[in-house]
Amino acid sequence: MTDIAATPQRRQASPKNRTGRATARPRDDWRLMLIVAVFMLCYGAVAVRMGAMAISEPEEPRLAGYGGAEPVRGEIVDRNGALIAANLPAWSLYAHPAELKDPLATAQELAGIFPDMSEAELVRLLTSRNDFVWVRRPITPRQKAAVQDLGRPGLFFGARDMRFYPAGQAAAHIVGGVRAQSEGVRHAELVGSGGIERYFDERLRDPARAGDALRLSIDLGAQQAMREVLSAEVSRLGAKGATGIIMNVRTGEIVTMVSLPDFDPNARPSAADGKGAANPRFNRAVQGVYELGSVFKVLTAAMALELGIVTPETMVETGSAVVIGRNAIRDMHRMPETLSVTDIVVRSSNTGTTRLALKIGAERMRGFLDRLGMFDPVPVEISEAARARPLKPPRWSEISTATISFGHGLSVSPLHLSAAFATLANGGQKVVPSLIRGGNQPGERIFSERTSREMMAILREVVSRGTGRRTNVEGYEVGGKTGTADKPRQDGRGYEKDKVIATFAAVFPTSAPAYVAVISLDEPVDRSGPRPIREASRTAVPATAEAIRRIAPLLGLRPKGGRVAAELKVAPVSVASN
Amino acid sequence: MMPVAEARARRNAGRLTLIGRLLRLDWALVLLIGAIAGVGFLMLYSVAGGDLDPWSGRQMTRFGAGLVIMLIVAMIDIRFWKWASPLAYLVALGLLVAVEIAGETGMGATRWIALGPIQLQPSELMKIAIVLALARYYTWLSQDLVSHPLWLVPPLIMILLPMVLVLKQPDLGTALMIAMSGAVVLFLAGVSLWYFIFAAAAAGGAVWVVMASRGTEWQLLKDYQYRRILTFLDPEQDPLGAGYHITQSKIAMGSGGFSGRGFMQGTQSRLNFLPEKHTDFIFTTLSEEFGFVGSASLLGLYVLVMAFCFVSMARNRDRFGSLITGGLAATFFFFWAINMAMVMGLVPVVGVPLPLVSYGGSAMMVLLIAFGLIQSAHIHRK
Repeated sequence: MTDIAATPQRRQASPKNRTGRATARPRDDWRLMLIVAVFMLCYGAVAVRMGAMAISEPEEPRLAGYGGAEPVRGEIVDRNGALIAANLPAWSLYAHPAELKDPLATAQELAGIFPDMSEAELVRLLTSRNDFVWVRRPITPRQKAAVQDLGRPGLFFGARDMRFYPAGQAAAHIVGGVRAQSEGVRHAELVGSGGIERYFDERLRDPARAGDALRLSIDLGAQQAMREVLSAEVSRLGAKGATGIIMNVRTGEIVTMVSLPDFDPNARPSAADGKGAANPRFNRAVQGVYELGSVFKVLTAAMALELGIVTPETMVETGSAVVIGRNAIRDMHRMPETLSVTDIVVRSSNTGTTRLALKIGAERMRGFLDRLGMFDPVPVEISEAARARPLKPPRWSEISTATISFGHGLSVSPLHLSAAFATLANGGQKVVPSLIRGGNQPGERIFSERTSREMMAILREVVSRGTGRRTNVEGYEVGGKTGTADKPRQDGRGYEKDKVIATFAAVFPTSAPAYVAVISLDEPVDRSGPRPIREASRTAVPATAEAIRRIAPLLGLRPKGGRVAAELKVAPVSVASN
Repeated sequence: MMPVAEARARRNAGRLTLIGRLLRLDWALVLLIGAIAGVGFLMLYSVAGGDLDPWSGRQMTRFGAGLVIMLIVAMIDIRFWKWASPLAYLVALGLLVAVEIAGETGMGATRWIALGPIQLQPSELMKIAIVLALARYYTWLSQDLVSHPLWLVPPLIMILLPMVLVLKQPDLGTALMIAMSGAVVLFLAGVSLWYFIFAAAAAGGAVWVVMASRGTEWQLLKDYQYRRILTFLDPEQDPLGAGYHITQSKIAMGSGGFSGRGFMQGTQSRLNFLPEKHTDFIFTTLSEEFGFVGSASLLGLYVLVMAFCFVSMARNRDRFGSLITGGLAATFFFFWAINMAMVMGLVPVVGVPLPLVSYGGSAMMVLLIAFGLIQSAHIHRK
């Protein structure tokens, strides 16, 4: 063979021609051998590894198991321990678009699994030039199984917690919602985006307190009942919205707080779903600052009593208009020449209330309202509250004092009103509303017990013979005051002719006040009669009656008297023992 | 075989007849290459669910065309290739620069340059050109100067320039291959072993210093960069992210056992658990369906190809011919080694195909041209 013959020649030639270019040694043979040895070592190593794999136990196909998105966010429960917010292990779906073999077909199949995602949107995602795109998060285990069944490459799942609200819409505005922050493939941190979830975000995320649920003052059963009552009233009266609050008069614990329209916190609406009150996230109970109308007369009367200016029996002129500068304040209906303070409230006289207010004076009136918290946001534990600041006149003129005395010129939220009524009802000590079980200790004394007692008697009369008659729920001694306020026009020029906020603020039972209830309807119209009726006495009042009828028993209040007991189908034995 | 005397006479005359050259071709090597490609056809047929479409048929066409090109390259005198080497390097380098400027982004990385209907990967061409250019350099350079530090500078620049361009694309796998193939040529050309030991030690030392500085005051990298390095080193830390490919491919290989699940019976690859099952991860399909027997047989074919190359190299007294044979054989080896290490989870997924088996035209063409050059060196050996 040629080459064998050539080898000796080369061996001889190399040393001789060490410096010559053309005949230089092609290379050292030991170098070749070393390379070959290294390569062979690699081949050998791979062969050994393959052998080891062949004899090892085959692993079953798997995707990485649910690792848990630590740390787990704390749960939220109602006052009785019923779940309001919990965590569900769920998944996120993401894609590496470069690994998708057929993005168009994949998009089409995914659109079938997620009907709320458009195919065009999915195509855009899956054909993006990014290495990584989120397709959807979170997804349920069932959706995950469906995606897995597609068998498409390039789609992947990440473990993540999903916040779940078993109570659904009932407590929507209270819990608010969460969003995911600092999302990774394996974990996403949930942070509160509204309501309790945002206000208590740090406490709920605190791993040290993960096992101990946040217990709210809300009673889910009562909350559900309130929502049902309001929903029925909203549809009966064609109202734009409604809010209903029931609060403990001593602790300020909010037992129900409903705002309609509401939303499902499991699919929280975004800012794009409407501005201000048009967005379902808008919490009318807290953020809806309205002129609440005649319910304010209760506060004016209480101030006059507290200051000793009048007694409930003092007669005040109501037959003529009150002229302040160029403005004349009149009554809606003809009033007698004079009315007692009690009757001013019962018959809701603007002129009588204005005359009381003018005696109180602007300075003292502002002092009372300020101490009642009517000028500041309610410090309730939801994130939206801090920004819900009442609207007060920029300059407090005499006419402001007059109009505010009957509820115009000062816009506060229904929650402000609830707190003021609770303060009046509990014997006069300031109440700060709370959504946490236990509530707050009663604060500074604003009204004397006597004023409180006298006011409760007046409120009771409003219900027994005044505008609140339709809320005279047997056995619960309801007292309260209506308010029908024209809505200000959108353009800021005066008031709408036929759009009102109808409010009823109630206390029950008036003999030993336990709860206040404030129900407010936005643009209600009762069209069942010959002419449309918008007054609170025919809208908010029946709604409150229904709410109290259903919720008071849930709160452990026992109706007085046999008729209601019979209605409730209580066994005769227990009635006899009463 | 031609009579020895006649062959020598013709060689000395500097020209062989076409028939003569065809006869001198290493047909056993051609056969081995065909066998390896055949394994590829089979696997591509299987992963397509028993269909020539979409991969196997096209791969066969490409292989056929590539085989013709290989033969043409082999028939051309090695002296022509020697002459053309610097040119090939400059063209490949120019194309890499062109990609940097006008490349189309495919699969998230700019690697391709469009020449009419043909999509070209200049980084693939560079895998050959670097070997040719370095072999040419060391053929020209006096043997005495091979280890001289000053004469080491040009080849290092020749390696680093395309490496940096390829890394920018980014294509770590190809950059590594260019560096390692170049290093093999340098080593075979006789560059002192101490340089290699020094380079390895320096690289290791640099890595050690960087890693050791973590957590100290003079920490050299940002924390997230360390985390990336650690995921790079241990991709299984993130089984749903970077480690997904590897986890799935390991499962597929483990499930093959000794004799495999049988042709077209691989569940892992069939059920689409495996990404890139027809390209970079095709080996997993093979080991799942044919088990250890199948994968060891393919390994055997690769070893034989290498053996033929090195025997041819050892017998070749032409410095250029023997250096390109060694360098291109090393390129072939690194294709295989990096792909294998990737599939077995020893290195991260860097996108290097299994040579002659994975679906794809660019790598196939480069490898067949490389074998054409090896054959040319073999035919026109001295």
